[in-house]
Amino acid sequence: MNTQHSYRDDFPALRREIDGQPISYLDNAATTLKPQSVIDAITDYYTNNGSNIHRGKHRLSEEASDAYEASRVVLANHIGAAANELVMLRNTTEALNLVASGLDLGPDARVVGCVDAHHSQLLPWRRVGHLDLTTVDPHGRIDRDHFRSLLRKQPKVVALAYCSNVTGVIHPVRELIAEVRATCDATIVLDAAQYLPHQRVNVRELDVDFMAFSLHKMLGPTGIGCLYGRSEALMGLRPLAVGGGMVDWVDMDSSVERRIPYKFEAGTPAIASVIGSAAAIRYLEALDPVQRHRHDMDLCEALVSGALARSDVSLIGPPEVTDRIALATLRLDKGIPAGEVARLLSDSYGFMARSGHMCAQPLVTQLAGGETLRVSAYIYNEVSEIEGLYKALDELLGLMGPAHS
Amino acid sequence: MFDAVREEIAYAFDRTVFFRNHMEANALRPEDIRSAEDFQRIPPTSKSHYRRNFPAGVLAKGYTLNSPHVMRFQSSGTSGDRLNSAILAYDLTRRQATALGVNPRFNELWRPGTRPRICRFAPPNCSDVECATGFSSMADRTLPDGTLVLTVAHDLLATPEWQVVKAFDEIEAYQPDLLVVDSTHLAFLARWGRRLGRTITSPSKLHVVSGYTLMTRVARRQVEDFLGDAVPIGDMIGMSELGYLGFECHLGNRHINNKDFYVEFVRDGKPVADGEMGELYITTLDDGLVPRIRYATGDHFTPLGDTCGCGTELPRVRIEGRATHMVRLLDGRVVTPGEVDAVVGDAPWMDLYKLEQDPTGACTFRYIANLTARDDDVTALEKRLTELLGPNPSRVEAVDYIACERSGKFQSCVSRLAAEETP
Ligand SMILES: Cc1ncc(COP(=O)(O)O)c(C=O)c1O
Ligand SMILES: [Zn+2]
Repeated sequence: MNTQHSYRDDFPALRREIDGQPISYLDNAATTLKPQSVIDAITDYYTNNGSNIHRGKHRLSEEASDAYEASRVVLANHIGAAANELVMLRNTTEALNLVASGLDLGPDARVVGCVDAHHSQLLPWRRVGHLDLTTVDPHGRIDRDHFRSLLRKQPKVVALAYCSNVTGVIHPVRELIAEVRATCDATIVLDAAQYLPHQRVNVRELDVDFMAFSLHKMLGPTGIGCLYGRSEALMGLRPLAVGGGMVDWVDMDSSVERRIPYKFEAGTPAIASVIGSAAAIRYLEALDPVQRHRHDMDLCEALVSGALARSDVSLIGPPEVTDRIALATLRLDKGIPAGEVARLLSDSYGFMARSGHMCAQPLVTQLAGGETLRVSAYIYNEVSEIEGLYKALDELLGLMGPAHS
Repeated sequence: MFDAVREEIAYAFDRTVFFRNHMEANALRPEDIRSAEDFQRIPPTSKSHYRRNFPAGVLAKGYTLNSPHVMRFQSSGTSGDRLNSAILAYDLTRRQATALGVNPRFNELWRPGTRPRICRFAPPNCSDVECATGFSSMADRTLPDGTLVLTVAHDLLATPEWQVVKAFDEIEAYQPDLLVVDSTHLAFLARWGRRLGRTITSPSKLHVVSGYTLMTRVARRQVEDFLGDAVPIGDMIGMSELGYLGFECHLGNRHINNKDFYVEFVRDGKPVADGEMGELYITTLDDGLVPRIRYATGDHFTPLGDTCGCGTELPRVRIEGRATHMVRLLDGRVVTPGEVDAVVGDAPWMDLYKLEQDPTGACTFRYIANLTARDDDVTALEKRLTELLGPNPSRVEAVDYIACERSGKFQSCVSRLAAEETP
């Protein structure tokens, strides 16, 4: 019984061959590929319109503005937010920086984070406050006791990541938030860049103050990231940039800011990409969620079991598939450079996987001691690709590792 | 000679999956190849074959990437230049010795029992060494064979002063016998040397080998002025996956290494006559690790067929360049980077130049002048270039910056038109 539609056909980049060989894209935690419908939406705007938004009354501008704002509604609706609570920016990094700088924390403000955070959820906080990092266990699960003890220091902000881009661990964010609410009045800022591509979130049920995510990790174009902010929270935030498009009135020596979310969107935005982002959300929402989740779990199972079955790789992250996305970060035996392995997997076998510190150097250094290889799957990948990758890795490590006796 | 080729074919067939498949796909067996004519029945092998099949398909049975003397390297890029390969250290040495043998000014480099101290200043190759960031120490950048790699920015002209100073400091500390350089890079260092009042010296006799890209006369002039007559400079013909393919003799002529390789110059599938340009196909001889048969290098040469006054037996060739660097004119003529360089000359009034043909065929010659430039110089060059580039429109532009290619190489002549038409 194979009723499952292969999504692969919807992604034109997967039709490419390199050196006469088809490709398998397994770097989805960095960025996903784009389906034809997203490409078409972008092309359609450029082909039939191309004008600016919110800048005039002519027909093309009205049309573009409508399409742009309709996209905002689609994105907001996807996470259960109101349209005015959704700021459209360039990426998660920009969204998190906007919050960190816009909260106007005092110099002594404490921020509680987690050691497995992406640099984007570490460095902005380090710049504006005193950042305490919650530790994780050797499998990457958060140390709840440590978290609790850090909350007792009455932080102004708790900066969480829903899912780690290194270990693939999905943190018990719902419970963590309840704990924060019970112990202190910190603003809760959630990085959902890795989680949202895999599972829906409802920001209201979750009770977060801010949440950031990037469309390029969920089939959308690059250049669009969103910041959700509860309306009261957003209203208290200072804009990062000022200029055109974010003011209602400017005279010789003062100006009146527009309402949220517009006051955070200074300058001409990436109109085509916003329209493409809505197409990406529509594509995702049209998929059967149950089937999608099962597929994700199958991929996760293949990634985890493949790693556990091998003695010359070790898995950075939990050895089970619960509360985990389809991502495996592997540490290779000493002396085998991950970067070289990633190149050879690509050039000789067609597998595009990621190597390095994954923009989470503190954690990768702690758990892996150096560079790693990360394999991350998405809707268009098949279990057979993951098996193929492990077979290729076996062949390579056989030729690169110490001579077997 | 051909016996050695037949042995290499038999070895590659026997020991590598890729070459066996390549022969079988063309219904050939090693016994079918008895002569140089038969040899041409084997379709050329390409970089893409070796990239796709490395290591499992092209490494000879019995070897791994960790076998003794195996040196591995990668170079980045998205074009045909992207490479993953490995080479035996002693093959590299053997090829180098043959090539450098054509130039007696390099004789003292290899005294028995010693290894020359080599320092590299060339386009960054971040895959084999942490070269482009400022965070690396000399130890981080010392290759297994002892070569010190100097850091340089990907965009040469944007290299900040501290990095230039670091290069001078490290050369001073390392005391090399040999600088292996890209001549554009060394010329850049020479200009900075004058500005900073620094020189390049070493207690032992210094030598310069220039490779990676075409050594322009403009670059050579600056390097010679800076280092003085006592420092021999030789232009190397080489490829990272094969090592030295040839070298410049002390009379300034280029010789190809046909001792360690079986070389062919091919055009439209046929060997070219002396005096005609062809693509270099290389067949390795006695390469135990990655034997290559009829490996199409993408580099073009003209075999000259004459003997050279220097006395070496290696045949003389003229370097023509890569197909994607050749300017294609409307009247069907092709102008090579070497021809462009001959027209430019050593141009003492100029620091750097680049000729670029755009996809429509129009050519732009950009140059960075120095303080001695006069209007006449420019007008005269403009006239010569218009003649050379014939029916195609061309213009000359003075600039104060020219970008490197993404690879970090600076190519003095490129054709986007040719690049678009080359598969
Ligand atoms: C967990 C996490 N947070 C933040 C980011 C940053 O996203 P962006 O590059 O779109 O700003 C990433 C991207 O890798 C991520 O994985
Ligand atoms: Zn000679």
